[in-house]
Parts: sequence; structure tokens; C-alpha cells
Amino acid sequence: MSEYAIGVFTNIGLISFIALSAYLLLIAGEMSFGQQGFFGVGAYVAGVATAMYGIPLPVAALLAMAAGAAAAFLVGLPTLRLRGLYFAMATLAAAEMLRIVFELIHFQREVEGEPVGPDGTQGFRGIRWVFEAGIEPQDFLAIVWASLALALAMFVIVERSRLGATLRMLGEDPELARSLGIQVERFKLGIAAAAGALAGLGGALYAHHNTYIEPRNFDIMLGVHSLAYALIGGLGTVFGPLLGVLIDIGLLEGSRVFQGYRMIVFGGLVAVLLVFRPRGLLDERFVHRLRHRMFRQT
Amino acid sequence: MALLELKGVSRHFGGVRAVDGLDLAVEAGQIFGLIGPNGSGKSTTVNLITGLFALTSGSIAFDGRDFGALPTHLRLGRGVARSFQNIRLFGQLTVWQNLWVAQNSPADHAKRGFLSRWLGGQGDVREEISQLLEFSGLAHKQDELAANLAFGEQRRLELARALATRPKLVLLDEPAAGMNNEEIGLLRDRILKMRAQGITVLLVEHVMELVMDVTDRIAVLNFGQKIAEGTPSEIQADAAVRKAYLGGETA
Repeated sequence: MSEYAIGVFTNIGLISFIALSAYLLLIAGEMSFGQQGFFGVGAYVAGVATAMYGIPLPVAALLAMAAGAAAAFLVGLPTLRLRGLYFAMATLAAAEMLRIVFELIHFQREVEGEPVGPDGTQGFRGIRWVFEAGIEPQDFLAIVWASLALALAMFVIVERSRLGATLRMLGEDPELARSLGIQVERFKLGIAAAAGALAGLGGALYAHHNTYIEPRNFDIMLGVHSLAYALIGGLGTVFGPLLGVLIDIGLLEGSRVFQGYRMIVFGGLVAVLLVFRPRGLLDERFVHRLRHRMFRQT
Repeated sequence: MALLELKGVSRHFGGVRAVDGLDLAVEAGQIFGLIGPNGSGKSTTVNLITGLFALTSGSIAFDGRDFGALPTHLRLGRGVARSFQNIRLFGQLTVWQNLWVAQNSPADHAKRGFLSRWLGGQGDVREEISQLLEFSGLAHKQDELAANLAFGEQRRLELARALATRPKLVLLDEPAAGMNNEEIGLLRDRILKMRAQGITVLLVEHVMELVMDVTDRIAVLNFGQKIAEGTPSEIQADAAVRKAYLGGETA
């Protein structure tokens, strides 16, 4: 595999985490424009852990997940009381607040004679754990995809379970779900925290892939994209958001065919799909038909 | 003692008194009819009992315990289930799943740990769900998405879902709306079967043939207040009821 291809596939894997994070909330009926904030929290927490305190990446990734979950829980407490557009705006505001916090943090420490750590708008350089541990790019690609596979496997288990059905109940008619015995608010907080953890994990890996992060990485465009991936790919299965990422990063960016026009093609694709297939390519009906057909044949 | 008892129940929306000082007592094993012209407060009463609306004043007791202050999600576990006037199903779930998720009461949960409750298999409920599918004539549609069902089938699924919660009391909010005579006949049989299984039924309905045919007792609402209560024949003879329905002078 060429270096370029490794880079593209690593990116697809990394961005898939935040797409899955947005997807998890979408199937539960909440459109969050703020998952990039938790992606950023994960990136900063993991970066600080490995670069400043020499904590190994696996532990740092767990810390990043915990921090992402905690941040999402705290943001969810007030915002999940809101509905629809108001929730979307509140999550966007929360993520922007987090981004400004990243801009204000100057927290550095001398490591081997050099100051290391987040330096406000100057960013955070020297997150070199992967390099120092002697992990080659293709090995890191494997690490990213193994983590992603684990996350996908958990999604597949959940989607077949009562928990998965409950997520879709909340997405379709929370009031009806409540009258069927579901504690709607508690459930949504739990979902928000899980989505935060997923974004946090993605952020941790992202920081260690790039070795340099800055507040701008976690701006609104990342949030819009993560939502768009789930909406293009489809809300019927966890492979929907993955398909969305593949189409955008793999096809539009990676193939270089649409160089310079990528955002125009991407925007057009979103607009067309929202009209003709509002719940994405792999929507619930399509997935149901597919399952039915496979089930019949066996 | 009555299974369901409403005392002085009121619900006001701004200045509108949708339900106003309503007393109601439904005995266990009864099929109790709740009728009245459009806007008389029938659906609001059902929503108050199931907790979709909060009480403005008054009290509701179910099975001898206070019910009116209980959070909505706990009411199902006590044994009260309902169907909706405007059908409400989870359209993106299959028929089977719609019944499966209804078996979600705290009583079920107490028996199982967190993991088996939320991530465990479906084995132990299959038998019960098959029976419900048989009962409602939907066995051949079990893998269909609920959104793809015909209107009458959706109504049957709503009824089956209410039963899936293993209720003591089922509130049916206009279950015959939009049905033809044959379907109403089948609905009648199902309601009677429910009673035979020991389930108490509160039936809100406009189709008078059905109400007069199956109920043991009827209460009539008008402008949020109870204007009459009695057996079907008493209600049919009641002057105030005739006036509410037909308008004009008292006969």
C-alpha cells in the first residue's frame, strides 16, 4: 500500500469515529452539531497524557474516552431538555465554547528540555508517542481500524438488542416510548455520554496520527461533516455513516478526481439526498428489505 | 373497591376546562364505556390516566394505590396500557419488534440483570409474542415494518401491543375509528376475549353499536363533565344524553 493510500485509509478510520458518534445520537432522534467538541476534548486529553506525562497511548485513549463521555454528559444535562433545532443550536454553541477553551489553554511543561503542551491558538505540537514507540504508519492504520472494528461490533450487538430497539423508539416517538416504560431523559443522557466517548476515542487517535493539533481542527465544519456522513450513508445501519465517510474522504478527497470541487460536489450530494432519500442511502427500509431477503435465502 | 378510581379529576388548558371535576369508578373485570360528543374530554381523560398530561387537580387511584402522581414510565409497570386514537406505532420497527419492546415493564426488569435486560436474547418472550400475533391475526406479517401495514392491521397491532405489556386495565381510545362493519365485529370479539382473560377495559368510542353491545357500564361526558352514568339501556333512555348528542330541547 502506498504511503498516500495509508494516509487516506487512516483518515477514513479516524473520521468514522466522529461520524458514528453523530449517528448514535441521530438514531435516538437528536441532531447534534457539537460532536467535534468532544473529539477535540479527546485529542487534547490524550495528547497531554502521552506527550507531557509519558502515559502510554492505550491508557491515554481510555482517559480520552472518559473525558469525552464526561464532557458530553455535562453538555447533555442542560441541552437534552431542548428539542430539534434548539438542541442543534445549543450543542453547536457548546462545541464552540470548548474550542475557545482550547484557544485559551496555555499549559506547558518541560519535557527533555523543551516546552510541550497546548499553547492556545499556537496549537499543541509534539504528540509523538506513536513515532517514539516505533509504530509504522501501516501499523497505526491497523490500530485505528481494529479500534473501529471493535466499535462497529458493539454497535452490531446493540442494534440487535432491546437497547437498539429502544434507541429507535426514542428517535421515532419519545412520548410513546415513555408510555411504554422508558425513562427518556436518562436514556438520552446515557446515549450522549456514549457518543462523547466514541468521539473522544476518535480524537485521541487523530491527535496521535497528526502529531499536531490546534483549536481550528475542531470547528463547526467537522461537526457538519460528521452529521452529513450519517445522513448520506444512511440511518438504517451502523455501516451507513461508514459509507458516508468512504464516499467523501475515499471518493471525493482521496481519489483527487474532484480536486478543488470537492466541497461543491459534497454539498450537492447532501442536498440531493436530503430531498430524495432523507434518511440516507442505507435507510431503515432498505436495510429491512436486505435483511429480509438474506433471511429468506438461508 | 374499584380497580380504577378518579376523584374530582380536572385538567385545564389555559382557560379551557377539558376535564372538570370528573369522578369515575371502574370495577375489575368490567368493560366500561366512556362516550360523549367531540371535544367532551374523553381522550384527555385517557391521557391523564396514562400520565401523558399532568393533573390540574383531583386524584387517580389504581389498584388501591395513588396513581396520579406516578411518573409516566412507571404507570405501565403497574398494569395500565392503552391504544391511541391516532395510531402510534414505531414504524421503523417490525411488527414483532413493536410487541417485543412493549414487554419492558419494571416487573420484567427486576428479574434480570442490566446486561441480560438490554443486550440479552429474545428467546424467553417468543412464545408470548407468537400468541399475541395469533390473537390479532398478524402472524403472517410479523417481519413487516409497522409503517407498511394497512390501517386495520395497524389498529390490531396497537391492541396487541397494549396486551403485550400484560395489563390489568386497557384503555382503548376509539379503536373502531375508520373500521368497516366486519372489522368492528372482529374487534368486538377481541374485546370480549380480553375480558374473558380477566382484563378490565375502558372503551372510549363513537361507534354506538359497539359501545352498547359490549359494555357493562357507561359514563357520558360533555364539556369535560360527567352528565350521566349507568347501564347501556339506562344511558340510551337518558334525556340529558340525548340532548348532548342531538342538541335542541330536552325530549
